[in-house]
Amino acid sequence: MAARSALLKYLRVNVQLAPQSARPSTPFSVLVRRCFSDEVRGSFLDKSEVTDRVIKVVKNFQKVDPSKVTPEAHFQNDLGLDSLDAVEIVMALEEEFGFEIPDNEADKINSIKLAVDFIASHPQAK
Amino acid sequence: MASRSEILSLFRSLYRTARQFPDYNVREYIKRRTADGFRLNRDAPDAAAVFADGKAQLEVAKRQAVVYSLYAPKVRSIMELKP
Repeated sequence: MAARSALLKYLRVNVQLAPQSARPSTPFSVLVRRCFSDEVRGSFLDKSEVTDRVIKVVKNFQKVDPSKVTPEAHFQNDLGLDSLDAVEIVMALEEEFGFEIPDNEADKINSIKLAVDFIASHPQAK
Repeated sequence: MASRSEILSLFRSLYRTARQFPDYNVREYIKRRTADGFRLNRDAPDAAAVFADGKAQLEVAKRQAVVYSLYAPKVRSIMELKP
């Protein structure tokens, strides 16, 4: 017992209060940037780039005649597609741009122009 | 009698379920089967029965997506490789 207390006297660790300046304080601007970083906020894609990619996806659709695809083409009237094809194209666009289009929005997309407008205004499209 | 938007919603749900299959062949089969089935029954006289059958098939697909994900193929199909 005596040996133990003698030993403990030597094993004591001195604890000092850390100097206040050692703790880095995060500036407010860094916090703001962190909360609204690009990954969270997303970024809007350029409209011409979206148009090119949408046209590429529509041209790859097997029932579409690639020569008829223009930035103003309407799925049913100009490209001769039915409503099921339109759903398929919207699903293909979801895969191309990596985000999910809700049903009520997807129902409204029936032309390339509407698809481009929706995707360009959606922050999560990549 | 199902409305137009309900039918499109069922079609979309089947496509979304198809995406969850890890196996390329099954995934493409379900998309193909969905599109063919909907076009085959475009003018079906008993639309309500066909719609109910489609909903039952959606439930089957959802269950099978779970089963197939447990036995996912170890290698990806060559069709999935991007050049």
